Amino acid sequence: METTGTSGMVMTKTVEDMDVLAETASRAGAHDVKVAANKVSVFYGEKQALFDVSIDIPARQVMAFIGPSGCGKSTFLRCINRMNDTIDICRVTGRIEIDGANVYDAKIDPVLLRARVGMVFQKPNPFPKSIYDNIAYGPRIHGKAKAGSEMDAIVEKSLRRAGLWNEVKDRLREPGTGLSGGQQQRLCIARAIAVNPDIILMDEPCSALDPIATAKVEELIDELRERYTIVIVTHSMQQAARVSQRAAFFHLGYLVEEGETERMFTNPSDQRTQDYITGRFG
Amino acid sequence: MSDNSAAKIRTGTWYEPDASLKRRYAADKRLRMYGVAAIVFALGMLTILVGTIASTALPALTQTHVTLQVELPAEAIDRSAPRSAGYQKMLADTISQLYPEVDTPRELRQLRQLFTNNAQYMLRDMVVADPSLIGQTIDFTFPMSDIGDQLHKGGIDRNLPPDQRRVNDEQIGWYDRLVEQDRITTPLNTGMIFNADSRFPELAGLSGALVGSFYALLICFLVSFPVGISAAVYLEEFAPKNRWTDLIEVNINNLAAVPSIVFGLLGLAVFLNFFGMPRSAPIVGGLVLSLMTLPTIIIATRAALKAVPPSIREAAIGVGASKMQTVGHHVLPLAMPGILTGTIIGLAQALGETAPLLLIGMNAFITAAPDSMFNPSTALPTQIYIWADSPERGFTSRTSAAIVVLLGFLVCMNAIAIYMRKRFERKW
Repeated sequence: METTGTSGMVMTKTVEDMDVLAETASRAGAHDVKVAANKVSVFYGEKQALFDVSIDIPARQVMAFIGPSGCGKSTFLRCINRMNDTIDICRVTGRIEIDGANVYDAKIDPVLLRARVGMVFQKPNPFPKSIYDNIAYGPRIHGKAKAGSEMDAIVEKSLRRAGLWNEVKDRLREPGTGLSGGQQQRLCIARAIAVNPDIILMDEPCSALDPIATAKVEELIDELRERYTIVIVTHSMQQAARVSQRAAFFHLGYLVEEGETERMFTNPSDQRTQDYITGRFG
Repeated sequence: MSDNSAAKIRTGTWYEPDASLKRRYAADKRLRMYGVAAIVFALGMLTILVGTIASTALPALTQTHVTLQVELPAEAIDRSAPRSAGYQKMLADTISQLYPEVDTPRELRQLRQLFTNNAQYMLRDMVVADPSLIGQTIDFTFPMSDIGDQLHKGGIDRNLPPDQRRVNDEQIGWYDRLVEQDRITTPLNTGMIFNADSRFPELAGLSGALVGSFYALLICFLVSFPVGISAAVYLEEFAPKNRWTDLIEVNINNLAAVPSIVFGLLGLAVFLNFFGMPRSAPIVGGLVLSLMTLPTIIIATRAALKAVPPSIREAAIGVGASKMQTVGHHVLPLAMPGILTGTIIGLAQALGETAPLLLIGMNAFITAAPDSMFNPSTALPTQIYIWADSPERGFTSRTSAAIVVLLGFLVCMNAIAIYMRKRFERKW
């Protein structure tokens, strides 16, 4: 495959698109497409950060975005729940469809979108409130549950799903900021789960955690895959290999390659992907 | 081997401090000394200031009173209208009985100068309040006048020649006789807090100024706190960043540096002349002070909002909170300690502000505390200003006492600020 020079890049992309189509066809029926991005470009003022990214994210799988720093993977992740709206100079073109509806459509309210697309951030960021209130906040503002036993049930269910219930059930009234880093991150995952989303976006969720806490979060991600579509941005190749079924490699704002994780790590079709995976740059 | 040669051997080893290192340490030490000296100087000045004010204020802690046996003859007081009886004459009779040798009008006038001018009204109010006193001879305790007070507290030097002091030898003699008869007492000067202003220092108090300052600060808080927070939240969280908001920001920052007298002129022109609001009233004072306090609160609030970590905003937006909910539920409560600190600092500044109040007439001579915020009144700093300008000797200590009261309020406000900040910090 031709991979050098600018013309090569365009060519690769075309080939790559065809690969995607072929792969999508091969797994037809096994998984529905949850998020379909079509020619998404992102501009920060004059500077273009993302170039015509088109990708299908299947439901109930873990999709990992990998690539060197500044490659646009976080930027793309934050387009999916329109977190980029909070940045004044940020402009997004193209379509991102969730279950067939374009999230950048004028009819779509970002508040409702973010209730369906939860997000977990790089640094654990629990509210400086009690563990209970951290979980209950989302359902409360969306009017999903009344205070009392109904809310208690949601809090318990969310904490159980995040694997945190047994550790915190006796101290739900204590501040969430008093937990350890790994527990805080799982609390944030529980907080995202509490509003009952379809999709959970994770922006390097383990980069601030130690290996043991990381293992727990990865285990959790694997369990969550049964109910939720998960998109995770990670710097760690090993992590991508461990938790994801599919992976997408971003480089310099382009989506270089996308496919099943196993295939991509053993037999990447693009030279740049191979260079990155084998550690030649990054 | 001698010490000297040992030192020579060590020369050149890596751990031997050379001259440049010593110079560095010397410079460090010198710099620390400058710092300590600056703090000692500042603390010294503060001690001198507070010490001077406190020692000057000390005499105002008490007020010299005199007790006389006043006869209240039943035939001289109409029980149905006790107000209109001749109390001045009753007092004059009592004093004449004490000093039978004083008979010339000039001497009588000098004698009366020892006692407060308002004694007759105090006697009247006492009888009106308790008519059963009529027909009895009562122990009537009332303040000495300023010169009586000064004589007692040693504010007048008896060794000076009579023409250089404010009392003559006769007056000193009359006063000494009161002391011999054990009629002089010095109770706590409660009038200082509970009386309104007066031309006579022995009767002057701060109640009018306290009530006036309270109303003015209340208005100031009610206007500037919500307006300041709203403006800051809008500018910080919602406003688009463009040339207009930049211009507004620069103007607000400049507003904080505008001399306070300019705000006074503005208040005079706008509130009094244009809107026709009442002169000297705390409501106008409060509005003018709120104009002054606004920039302080806006700047403090914006700083406090900026200090809230962006991760909290992301967390709230990430679970689907709207912009308003993010600010209202998370950012603003987290910023509240900083906002409260800024507000109380702003209010403390407003409490001590004099110039704008002078321009809207809150330095008027008013002998009753205001019933409402629309009545004429003074405020603490303007009262200090008025008293500092008064010639009577008794006002010297009272001015300092009023300053102590003002400082006391400032300390209290800061204590409240610290308490509230701690409380909020614990909650979050």
